[in-house]
Amino acid sequence: MATFELYRRSTIGMCLTETLDEMVSSGILSPEHAIQVLVQFDKSMTEALETQVKSKVTIKGHLHTYRFCDNVWTFILQDAVFKSEECQETVNHVKIVACDSKLLTQ
Amino acid sequence: MADRRSEQPVHHSSGIIPTLQNIASTVNLDCGNKLDLKAIALHARNAEYNPKRLPAVIMRIREPKTTALIFGTGKIVCTGAKSEGDWKLATRKFARIIQKLGYPEVKFKDFKIQNIVASCDVRFPIRLEGLAYAHRAFSSYEPEIFPGLIYRMKQPKIVLLVFASGKIVITGAKFRDDIYTAFDNIYPVLTHSKKNQQ
Repeated sequence: MATFELYRRSTIGMCLTETLDEMVSSGILSPEHAIQVLVQFDKSMTEALETQVKSKVTIKGHLHTYRFCDNVWTFILQDAVFKSEECQETVNHVKIVACDSKLLTQ
Repeated sequence: MADRRSEQPVHHSSGIIPTLQNIASTVNLDCGNKLDLKAIALHARNAEYNPKRLPAVIMRIREPKTTALIFGTGKIVCTGAKSEGDWKLATRKFARIIQKLGYPEVKFKDFKIQNIVASCDVRFPIRLEGLAYAHRAFSSYEPEIFPGLIYRMKQPKIVLLVFASGKIVITGAKFRDDIYTAFDNIYPVLTHSKKNQQ
């Protein structure tokens, strides 16, 4: 199954990439293996978000910019309020990148 | 705003002036070669490009609040403007955006209003059946399909949607004056088909 590489830019994805880079440069890991780990990370993230995350968050803010190109939506929100069951937080600037997961199964 | 109002002739004793709701227009941006729509969608703000659905970039600006369809040939369709001034300003802004995105040589060609839509309220209910019968050469009223009466005026060539509530939509005009003339023509007809209220 194809996956998005979207989550590689998340904190956890960046940390993984950094660690893999270090391991490759010190010769512990081959570059091919490192790529394989990243591909597995893409799959695992998609699966985990689909099956293990139950919490819901609503995001509401002023839509400063939007874009739809190559089936990817990009939104830039200003003064966005993130609301979940437990907490609420306001953020001045948020960039949302969203892909249609249905495209993966095609 | 106030002086713009005074330019408009006051019609009839009704004192009702149709309000412009939308101006749709087209313009050709003559730039020699084809526009790279994907590059435009990627670099411009507030753009949508889904070539599977529509071979054009949909772009919106906030001031004046308008939407443009930008085609690869350089043709731009601009909708949403509420006055001629807004329409001109919006079209210029869209052209400027294209210019900034790597087409400095673009030129305006065939800058033209294609349709003006206006609406108003005569503030009395109308018997649509009666109107449809009296003006059957111009009217089409099929309440099971659409609740309004469609009135195709010949002179000026304008379409009016007349609703039982007294709300009127006037469309198909290329000039503001055609809207006013059409309303002038229809108003006495409507007063004739006024519904008697119990």
